[in-house]
Amino acid sequence: MIPNQALTIAARIIQQLIRDRRTMALIVVVPLVVMTLIGLSFPESNVLDYIAPALLATLALFFSFLLTGISFLRERSQGTMERLMASPVSRLDIVVGYLFGFFIFALTQTLIILLFTIYVLDVHYYGDLWQIFVFQVVIIAGAVNLGIFISTFARNEFQMVQFIPLIIIPQIFLCGVIWPVEQMPDYLQWLSVILPLTYAVDGLRDIMLAGRSLLDVGLELAVLIGFAIIISALAAITLRRGAAS
Amino acid sequence: MAEKNFTGLAVEINKASFSYNNIKALDGLSLKVPAGISFGLLGPNGAGKTTLIRLLVGLLKPKSGNVQILGQTPSRKTTHNIGYMPQLHSLYAELSVMQNVNFFAQIYGLSNKHERAQRVEEAIKLVNMWQRRKDSILKLSGGMKQRVSLACAVVHNPPLLFLDEPTVGLDPELRVTFWEHFAALTQQGITLIISSHTMDDAAHCDRLAFMRDGKVIAQGTPGELQQATGQPGATLEDAFLYFIHREDSSDS
Repeated sequence: MIPNQALTIAARIIQQLIRDRRTMALIVVVPLVVMTLIGLSFPESNVLDYIAPALLATLALFFSFLLTGISFLRERSQGTMERLMASPVSRLDIVVGYLFGFFIFALTQTLIILLFTIYVLDVHYYGDLWQIFVFQVVIIAGAVNLGIFISTFARNEFQMVQFIPLIIIPQIFLCGVIWPVEQMPDYLQWLSVILPLTYAVDGLRDIMLAGRSLLDVGLELAVLIGFAIIISALAAITLRRGAAS
Repeated sequence: MAEKNFTGLAVEINKASFSYNNIKALDGLSLKVPAGISFGLLGPNGAGKTTLIRLLVGLLKPKSGNVQILGQTPSRKTTHNIGYMPQLHSLYAELSVMQNVNFFAQIYGLSNKHERAQRVEEAIKLVNMWQRRKDSILKLSGGMKQRVSLACAVVHNPPLLFLDEPTVGLDPELRVTFWEHFAALTQQGITLIISSHTMDDAAHCDRLAFMRDGKVIAQGTPGELQQATGQPGATLEDAFLYFIHREDSSDS
């Protein structure tokens, strides 16, 4: 059951984004442009089939993290977070409200990417489409919370932008997106164990390439759900520090 | 919601100190504000006014001493009884005037739709923004944003209102309008704590505290503070300077 205050915050975020038509257009157009360019750069369809699950996982993480992180930071820099923190709303309500508000847009973006990849780029897959989507929903939940959490460490947009290469790029290289984790030195393999994208890439590859079910990728799913819960708790804890600074 | 005609002290601060890292913002500050009046916190930038307000609304906790509002330590429980207008406009730029005020009404627990609609209308009308209620904040001037920000702070009808530099950047005409809004609020029994660094604002308050370097250097009604200088016809500016000099000479 979602508390009323969290729903109020989620509804306000949705209202706000819908009124910002340019941002709405960019939310739809940017993933399509990126996916078209990626699709055109892979002339061999079997290579694209292999890389597609990793790309879907990475883009879901990247776009959701970016959208939430910047918006949450804006809430602090324009002073509305201070106003919220002085109101009866709890920190958890704020985090849950944000999670639901942005979830809708992150989900829309992810759905656009997924459908474009499958129906326009003609990527072959074996698992069920709905299972692929459910798995991505879990990735987005973690990424949205990660955006909220990391934004509490940035005091302005410039600082937030610096976190993007720090959080996203190492994961692209260390989590099996480009080359298998097993080919990396031992100490980097250990590092990949603690990075969420490793489980996102493994899980989606298993579903899309090997036709496995959500039950078969239960471990990856559990790790990603655990990550989303821990990060949302951390985001709620660090919120006051962020608002007061 | 607390009683509007709360008869005790609206604010009671006892030797409160606060510092940001090693910089002292409040230095053993003590203050008592009776309920139902407009109380001005006057002082230059950096005197500790905003820190004091943040302590009172529960955004910060004192490092030592204690702070009470309406007889309770500031916490989530006390937030229902206060309205807070921060220094920044603190509004959602893409949303309309009505959507902003309605959002804060919901956040403060006005769940009954009919009652909420009525309160939102009253708050927007109080600040004379009803004609512009459908406009987004992006289309408004700085002064209009200040008015909407005030509407957001009063929409839940709180008995205690904290206004951090509410008249900064306003033209003289709008400043007068704002003081008319504040007078209307105190007539309803609401206690107003207003921070400012201009002496024009000070003259409108029922009582004042002059602040400097995180301390209260003098307090009283505007008339009492002017009389304390011993000079006939002294302005509040003269009074402020008098207390600064007195403080400096007692330190040396």
